[in-house]
Amino acid sequence: MEKDKKVPYIKRTSSRRKKPGSRSAVWMILPLYAFTLIFVAGPLLYVIALSFTKADGGYTINWSFTLENYTRILEPVYLQTFAQSFQLAFTSTLIICLVGYPFGYFMAKLPPGKKRAAMLFLMLPFWVNSLIRMYGWIILLQKKGVLNFILQKLGIIEKPLSILYSYPAIVVGMVYVLLPFMALSVYSSAEKMDWSLVEAARDLGASGFQAFWTVTFRLTMPGLLSGIILTFVPSMGLFFIADILGGNKIVLVGSLIQEQMTKGNNWPFAAALAVVLMALTTLLIVLYRRITHARELEGIG
Amino acid sequence: MKRIAAVTLGAALCLGAFPASVSADSADEMILFTWEGMFPQEVLDGFEEEYGIEIIYSNFDSDETMLEKLSMAQGGDYDLIIADDYILEEVVAQGLAQELDMDIITNFDNINPSYQGQVYDPEDAYTVPYGAGIPLIVYDPEQVDIEITGYSDLWDESLEDCIAITANYRVICGITQLSMGRSMNEEDPEVIAETGERLLELAPNIRLIQDDNTQDALLNGEASVAFLYTSQVTQVLAENPDLQVVYPEEGLGFGIMAGFVPSQAPNGEAAMKFINYILEPEVSAQCTNYIGYYCTNQAANDLVDENLVAPEGVTGEFVRTVSAEAEAAYSEAWTAFKAACD
Repeated sequence: MEKDKKVPYIKRTSSRRKKPGSRSAVWMILPLYAFTLIFVAGPLLYVIALSFTKADGGYTINWSFTLENYTRILEPVYLQTFAQSFQLAFTSTLIICLVGYPFGYFMAKLPPGKKRAAMLFLMLPFWVNSLIRMYGWIILLQKKGVLNFILQKLGIIEKPLSILYSYPAIVVGMVYVLLPFMALSVYSSAEKMDWSLVEAARDLGASGFQAFWTVTFRLTMPGLLSGIILTFVPSMGLFFIADILGGNKIVLVGSLIQEQMTKGNNWPFAAALAVVLMALTTLLIVLYRRITHARELEGIG
Repeated sequence: MKRIAAVTLGAALCLGAFPASVSADSADEMILFTWEGMFPQEVLDGFEEEYGIEIIYSNFDSDETMLEKLSMAQGGDYDLIIADDYILEEVVAQGLAQELDMDIITNFDNINPSYQGQVYDPEDAYTVPYGAGIPLIVYDPEQVDIEITGYSDLWDESLEDCIAITANYRVICGITQLSMGRSMNEEDPEVIAETGERLLELAPNIRLIQDDNTQDALLNGEASVAFLYTSQVTQVLAENPDLQVVYPEEGLGFGIMAGFVPSQAPNGEAAMKFINYILEPEVSAQCTNYIGYYCTNQAANDLVDENLVAPEGVTGEFVRTVSAEAEAAYSEAWTAFKAACD
């Protein structure tokens, strides 16, 4: 009797709650929908449309259909730019993985008090504008800078090194800016992990490394993967790092777009570059998720 | 209540947007339209006191915005506008400027003839130069073994990984062309391709390419030679007077800011008086020192900071708007050059 009574009772409440709930949910979502349509989809469509037009000398745009901008990207100079951007993004992401994964992993293993302190130290630099932090790196890396001074005092080098305005300097900047994203996302998945599984593995005879590789690493994979996306995608666009620390000597797609918009007055070409960049990044992420089956792992399939 | 607030706000916004149209008919006002921070307050106050004409300072952020607003107002609304050379060409061509009244501008002869008769106004009928920008080479003689006299010296092998340059590609391509005995504004894609090749040879010598604070590289020892904008040259010399400034022998890249009176200016007479006033040597010197550009008033040469007086007889060329094809060729040469720098 009781059982029979309970079931319809639960059903009734749930259905009663659901209907008005879903209606108001529509109204709650609508502003966000409109916002997205107007400020994300709108400009995106505009950029795509713009990429098929032509710059008409000076500051005007000739609204006639052309593929010229896209064929222009196929010129070796611009293909090389894309190659260089991706290469830099890969290098930075790889280093960030190597440094950021252990960072996040060990942070999760700290006792609670120290964990909080570690988190604070990780977040602290975010309170300062990243542009200013980049100028800080100039002071460290320049010829008369702190690093060269220390190396010279220690007698490791005789003449100051030209570290600033070189490829390594850009990579340092990229790693520095993006590392927290990796560390935090690995940390959050290591934090949630059930350590008794590792104990079980050890009890069953796995060595420390085996237990890490077969249990911990697999379980923290989602954090690593989302960390990779969080660092790879922005590293394609952080052209100001290449400008400030690299002395503008490495052309990234981001800086090329910026230059075409401002000094070149060629918005259509800039738009075409942006479209290709977006398409390539999306393609890479899709490929990457296919390979790693990240859909299940990230829980956003 | 809300509605009233909205209406008031709307009205205030409208008034803010068109200050000129509201207050234009008054004879003791002059509407000055230029970038922000182009005049020291003493100069503006001095004019108001001496002539009893109130100055309304309205600013734009780019030459293009100025031209757009001026053509919308069909040459009206503003009394005096100061803008850059290449846009003045357009202003004069569209008939948006009126001829200067030489009976009022008695100080006209103070202007340094080097800055007159320019492409945008060959007869000097419409414009009065206010300041000039000339990018120059600056180097540290202690660290450089050769004597630099022109752009060609930048290609010298001894300067490997030593040079800091600004990031405006038309200017850099322009000086490359000057070093080849050509114009800064070549239009032929084949000629520009040759420029690109010559530019590639410069790549090994480049230490950094940057538009902002390029002068810092000279001061902190990252570079021993730099190609800098005027304001940067002034700053770097203030910090280290031992640096050597070079006015390249091949000719200079010029930029001139000049003032003109729009064709339908509500109070053109006041604008002419103001032009005459700022051409007075003392006032001109105050302005020049304040904006930090090269002095275009020869009568003021002795009164301004000596670094702001270009040597006698300098000649230069403007970077002018070129065809879309040429622009694309320049930007391609530049991208290839930057990629070759590392």
